[in-house]
Amino acid sequence: MPSFGFLQAFIAGMFIAASAGMLGSFALLKRMALVGDALSHVALPGIALGLIFNFNPFFGAFVFLMSGALLIWIAEHKTKLPVDALVGIFFSVALAFGAMLTPKEELLEALFGNVTKIEPFDFWLAIILSTIVITVLYSFSKKFILTFISPDLSLSVGLKPHRLELTFLLIFALSVLIGMKFAGVLLMGSLIIIPAATARNIAGSMYSYVLLSVILSVIGALLAVTASYFYGFQPGPAFVIIAGAFFLASIFFKK
Amino acid sequence: MKSHNQHDSKQVLSIKDLNVRYGNETVIEDISFSLTEGEILAVMGPNGSGKTTLFKAILGSLPYNGKIILGPETKIGYVPQKIDLERNLPITVEEFLLLRVQNLKYGDVLSPETALGLVHMGAPFLHKKFSELSSGEFQRTLIAWALIGKPNLLLFDEPTSSIDVAGQETVYDLLHHLHDSEKFTLLLISHDLTVVYRYATKVLCLNHSQACFGIPKDVLTPTGLKRLYGSGNFYKHATV
Repeated sequence: MPSFGFLQAFIAGMFIAASAGMLGSFALLKRMALVGDALSHVALPGIALGLIFNFNPFFGAFVFLMSGALLIWIAEHKTKLPVDALVGIFFSVALAFGAMLTPKEELLEALFGNVTKIEPFDFWLAIILSTIVITVLYSFSKKFILTFISPDLSLSVGLKPHRLELTFLLIFALSVLIGMKFAGVLLMGSLIIIPAATARNIAGSMYSYVLLSVILSVIGALLAVTASYFYGFQPGPAFVIIAGAFFLASIFFKK
Repeated sequence: MKSHNQHDSKQVLSIKDLNVRYGNETVIEDISFSLTEGEILAVMGPNGSGKTTLFKAILGSLPYNGKIILGPETKIGYVPQKIDLERNLPITVEEFLLLRVQNLKYGDVLSPETALGLVHMGAPFLHKKFSELSSGEFQRTLIAWALIGKPNLLLFDEPTSSIDVAGQETVYDLLHHLHDSEKFTLLLISHDLTVVYRYATKVLCLNHSQACFGIPKDVLTPTGLKRLYGSGNFYKHATV
């Protein structure tokens, strides 16, 4: 009989995966898969500071992620610097700092996550924040979709693409923060991107694309938590392998 | 060319001393003109002369100096030229058209089916993905996107004059029919002199500043065109 801890991990995993899968489907429309991957790295120094100075690493990660999102936005809209390179360099350096600062015994978990060790506080936070991410994405979905598929058309109907992009980046950072517990700093990007990429291969409409991305992500997460419970795998890497397998299969179904 | 009754000619668009800058570069300098209901204005000018920028200023999507006054009930539809839209997006024609409706601030709109009907595409197209459309069908879909909000001012950035396989009808023929049936004022970027002569009631020549404005036969003189495009660098009558 699965313990309460397992149930908690199961439920938290479901919420985290649903929000990440939904976010991913939007992120992939904007071709910002790699930005998201890099963004998750910036959380590590925040986690490290939390561990060193004895405050909840969640808050450290939160501050660093939000600042990271803001920095990406500023680099994209207020400067003429090449964003890709900048993001790649800046966030890799952040990861390096984080890796050096994080105590050895905590490093593995920070890098790869472990939802089966979730504390009650983190559990509720994950559920509340996931719900916020899903709600914001849902209520902005028409604006986000139009803006991401065509900034020109978005402008022409009077939307404000820059502002929407900032909103999205902040939600993105929030989603990374939540997923950290599940997949860790290194693999969080895949939690967001792989289900969306898989859904894109097989979806016949925007609606089915977003929905499939959520469903695939949730199935992957539930399988990963189950695998970790019964076979002792780490859920983060297990998720990435399962999601990767789905993606591989989807290539053959590609319409 | 169509002639229009001038007796209840309401002003749809009026532009006064329009200036647009990108940084230190002046893209549009001191443009002034106005259009009344039902007119077809062709905007001509060499590449990079500010034509698309003019459209974007009218749409209010970039900062400008001067005045752009729209009529009190003016609703704008916009068909962009090079659309920054990927063709392999997982989106159906219907979903795409509904995005316009859902992001409009007023409620008086056409159904996706009606809008598609206007550009001679049947209901089966509603559920087709972008990747399943021919380039002609894709351009029609973009026109339907502009029409779905029932515009009375349509901005059309350089239609390609490719003939659609379906009806052997050019985009210009389609626009001409729509202009007759839907009664909008049309702003059209075009290099094609034949099209301009055939359809436009007014011409605006743009070369950062306003090189000419008026009725085609008055302003499109050989000297005027030479001044606008340089020697010989424009389309002759032969096309279409």
